[in-house]
Amino acid sequence: MLKLENVSVKRGKSIALKDVSFKVDAGKTIAVVGESGAGKSTLIASILNLASLASGKISWNDKPVRKISPALVSQEPRAAFNPVMTLKQSVLEPIVGQKKTLLPDRLNRLCKGLELPIDLLDRKPSGVSIGQAQRVGIMRALITSSPLILFDEPLSALDAVTQKHTARLISDLQKEEGFAAIIVTHDLGYAAAFADDIIVLKTGCVEEYSSAEEFIQSPKTQYGQDLRNAAFALGALERAS
Amino acid sequence: MRSVLVLVVCFVLLAVLGPLFAPYDPSAINIPKRLQPPGGEWLLGTDALGRDIFSRLLHGARWSLGLAFVVSVIGLVVGTSVGLIAAIGGKFADWITMRTTDSFLAFPELVAAIVIAGFLGAGTGSLIFALSVTGWMRYARVARGIGLSLKTRDYVIQAKLAGLSNVSIARWHYLPSLIPSLTVVWTGMFARAILGISSLGFLGFGVQPPLSEWGAMLLDARIHMRSTPLQMIWPGLAVLISVLAINLTGDALRDSLAKDNAK
Amino acid sequence: MKIVIGLFLRASVVLTGIALATFALLWNAPGDPALAIALARYDAIVTPDLVNEIREQAGFNAGFWPAFQAWFGPILMGDFGNSSVNGRPVLPDLMSSVSYTFPLGIAALAIGMALSLPLAILSTKRPGGWLDRFAIAVASIGNAIPAYWLGLLLILLFAVQLAWLPAMGARTPSHAILPALTLGLGVAASLTRIIRSGILEARGQSFLPALSRRGVPQNSISKDHIALHAAIPVVTVFGLELAFLLEGLVMVEVIFARPGLGSFLVEAIGARDFPKVQAAVLLTALIFVVVNLLIDLFYKVLDPRIGDHDA
Repeated sequence: MLKLENVSVKRGKSIALKDVSFKVDAGKTIAVVGESGAGKSTLIASILNLASLASGKISWNDKPVRKISPALVSQEPRAAFNPVMTLKQSVLEPIVGQKKTLLPDRLNRLCKGLELPIDLLDRKPSGVSIGQAQRVGIMRALITSSPLILFDEPLSALDAVTQKHTARLISDLQKEEGFAAIIVTHDLGYAAAFADDIIVLKTGCVEEYSSAEEFIQSPKTQYGQDLRNAAFALGALERAS
Repeated sequence: MRSVLVLVVCFVLLAVLGPLFAPYDPSAINIPKRLQPPGGEWLLGTDALGRDIFSRLLHGARWSLGLAFVVSVIGLVVGTSVGLIAAIGGKFADWITMRTTDSFLAFPELVAAIVIAGFLGAGTGSLIFALSVTGWMRYARVARGIGLSLKTRDYVIQAKLAGLSNVSIARWHYLPSLIPSLTVVWTGMFARAILGISSLGFLGFGVQPPLSEWGAMLLDARIHMRSTPLQMIWPGLAVLISVLAINLTGDALRDSLAKDNAK
Repeated sequence: MKIVIGLFLRASVVLTGIALATFALLWNAPGDPALAIALARYDAIVTPDLVNEIREQAGFNAGFWPAFQAWFGPILMGDFGNSSVNGRPVLPDLMSSVSYTFPLGIAALAIGMALSLPLAILSTKRPGGWLDRFAIAVASIGNAIPAYWLGLLLILLFAVQLAWLPAMGARTPSHAILPALTLGLGVAASLTRIIRSGILEARGQSFLPALSRRGVPQNSISKDHIALHAAIPVVTVFGLELAFLLEGLVMVEVIFARPGLGSFLVEAIGARDFPKVQAAVLLTALIFVVVNLLIDLFYKVLDPRIGDHDA
């Protein structure tokens, strides 16, 4: 279980995150929504141990999170891969130096699950579509069998059809692999359809923290209400329900 | 990029194979035939000790081009490492390495090399040391600048999350992106090293006689400027042509990179 | 104001560092400096006692830090000590050498400017035209030509063959013509390239077409905007050019036997005259650091967008 307790992070002199607390159980999904500048990226960075905390604690089953090496699926699928390396080299990067005996099997299974032809991995990032690149990015996150995977706007670079498909894939793989997922998104429809809990961030503070059903029916706060209504107006929530 | 490679291969061939084509022993003294004019038996004439100037030039390539190559590559390795340490190693490492680099840049490089080579005493080792110690800073600055811009790239962050060591990240994710720009810097530094070696040789602080380094040859030739002025032309022309060739290749590479970036 | 103090602090740290580095180099240089001094002073009649006496006098026995302090302390008060070869105070000799070097440097810069500015401006009238290509070719050759060789060629032509100008020494102002020309041609070569690309870059600035559309007359555009944007690289270049100048001065002074700072330094190195070498090195560093400091200040005044110059 991932647990954040009163986490605050400073960026220069200003406060980027203030008193953020929440938890995610294994196999569960939490969606973090909010406007740009609300502190979503900082939240990801601090869970990944890329930003130092001003105060508070982040732990996985009472151990530091870095012990379980959480994985990240980046927002820009192609930029997440070194342009001069093959996708396979990038995917295997997290497990260099490990036993490679089980590897072909694992790669095959992941390729199947992600609906990718295995020889696609021998190409460079520029040689695949964005949707494919994103699925390879998900593969890289899965390959270590990390119990915690962060998705930074996993759908925003994709077109509508690919979005639905990828969201479904992530959800199916989660059932199979049992990782805890943190999905940062501004797409409330996606959040409502696939997350167990929803957190709304506003200027670094947790504005609302409720289960997905609760949020769709009646957000606790005015800001949550506004967000939900805006999403309804855009038709995003209909799509989800 | 390919043109630089071709140039380097040409220079290496010239330095390695050139001496094989030398018609005479470059240090064979032949006093009766001293200060011969060009043409005839001696293609470019003979010097004050009757040594064949053409043979000396060919052998000199080994020193003037070979040592410059060594010096510029040492600078490349040292400077790139320093720059990458600055870019990857965090704020403190950055501060320390960049202040050091600034301090080394706070003195004209060739003058520093003259002082160092002059005091360490003549010899190939001190020559290489003097020019390398004063010739790594530009690489460091360029490597740091590009390194800092790569630091926030998604794939570098992914490599970090993958648990790669800083050295592996530098090797696999920083270095490939640095190579084009560093090659441009390298051509400039190679040219500078050729000028530096011949300047030190000309001042008498560089490669020592009887080795026929081009700058040292000019120093010899200078005394006989009035009687055989042509003797003075050849070594200088050799330096000029080498430096010009490198500079033009470097310019072409820089322009083509700029075009690629503009796309 | 804070910036100014910061720059000065940085400059003094750098200067102290250079003093320390020079001293460490001399300290660790192979060979016995005391013996070298003895040989320089008394020629062949050197005895071990004599060498020991010199070693004691020069403070070589005291260890690195005391020796460094004994040397650097007085320098802060303006006392550069005495030549270890002829025993005369270093400072007057140093100042007299600068009085030869400084005008030569200025003259070279003036020649460089006078040649490069018209050439660069004319060449950018029609980029890619024959004049432009000519300018680039000349500049490329000028950049690749070793300063000492160019100097020798000029001596060969103007002093030996034509006998128009004197070559060696510095007795009359006409003695300065060939050295200044040698350096000036080198300066002109690199300045031409930099001014040329500066002008071309400034012309490519995106706001210029906007100004034209707004009806600002062409003439005033080139005067105010292009000139300002070309000025920044020119000032940058002046910093780079300074290094080239100081390096070139050493070589040119040696070739033309001019008793300037460069000759002073090279002779002192040859004679292993510690106090003189250190004085020359420190003065060179001082000139270099102070000029670069002024350039940094100039940037901050000229273009507020350039924050910290070293970033």
